[in-house]
Amino acid sequence: MNSEGHPLKKYIRKHITKTTMCPGCGNGIVTQAILRAIDELGLGMNDFVFISGIGCSAWIPSPLFDADTLHTTHGRPIAFATGVKLGLPDKHIMVVSGDGDLTAIGGNHLIHAARRNIDLTVILINNGIYGMTGGQTAPTTPRGLKTITNPYGTLEHTFDISPMVSAAGASYVARWTTYHPRQMTRAIKKGIQKKGFALIESVSQCPVQYGRVSKIGKAVDFLKYFKENSIKINKAKEMAPQELKGKIIIGEFMNTTKPELAEGWSHLKCHLEERH
Amino acid sequence: MTRVRIFPQDCKGLENCGICTFVCPKNLFHSSGVMNDTGYIPPEIEEENKCTGCENCMIYCPDFAIVVEKKSEAVSYDGETEIGS
Repeated sequence: MNSEGHPLKKYIRKHITKTTMCPGCGNGIVTQAILRAIDELGLGMNDFVFISGIGCSAWIPSPLFDADTLHTTHGRPIAFATGVKLGLPDKHIMVVSGDGDLTAIGGNHLIHAARRNIDLTVILINNGIYGMTGGQTAPTTPRGLKTITNPYGTLEHTFDISPMVSAAGASYVARWTTYHPRQMTRAIKKGIQKKGFALIESVSQCPVQYGRVSKIGKAVDFLKYFKENSIKINKAKEMAPQELKGKIIIGEFMNTTKPELAEGWSHLKCHLEERH
Repeated sequence: MTRVRIFPQDCKGLENCGICTFVCPKNLFHSSGVMNDTGYIPPEIEEENKCTGCENCMIYCPDFAIVVEKKSEAVSYDGETEIGS
């Protein structure tokens, strides 16, 4: 990236000339939201360890960010992140990965990290399809959508990630779309500051794969779609389930304080050292 | 006075992206008609003086290709200081 003047360029590795994303991909908007959140909190890249799995959105921290990064096996970034957090409890650990990686292949890691309430910030970029491998049905694909693996329309129901992670025990859960980058930045800031498991679900566009099969269209059509179909969580609570069909509920799903795992481990360690 | 800088080599084109044209409240972005080194046609900004400095284009651009510089700092003019010019 040759943008000398961009204020967030200082966080990107010097040798990077271009992102790996397609034109109009929402990953770039989320990348900027992450970097702006870190910038506004006054933190530096040395305060973080970034971990990603496999997929388009997993390419955000690994080649771009000028920080310590781990690009791990498919579905396992949260498992690696759990180890990193327990080994380096003073660092902020951020997992950046997609819906296929974190909810399909790594679904159990996500649920159990939320249950343990370990201090991670997970940025889950949900584009509703397997983009990198050619547009296969993901657990987040809307029911009835015709994809290359379900040419007659998928018969499976959709994972509703944010309520699931809230129910599993996370401390902070929020969902925003790429039409709401300012709100997403605020949510990421809260997630980083939260002592406990924080999930920010970023509903994003894949104009190449999802746009083609859903007939939504290009990047701009997606942003229009997100603008028209997003409903704030407070308003959604007063609406009937039929009215909410096909809508994206946005906002904060969970914001609570409870004991955190890495802190519990260090307390236990101190306690045992005093005894012996 | 706000200055909008576009880095044409970083842009991935109005044809498939064009997010800046959608998020600008004043519709100031138009095609430059000039292809960059990677084959995309970036935008150019017309009537920069109409820019409100909302920074939408900068925040939404997925490729870090737009920078909005607000000149709200004091500008020295004839020994006096003009604020917010």
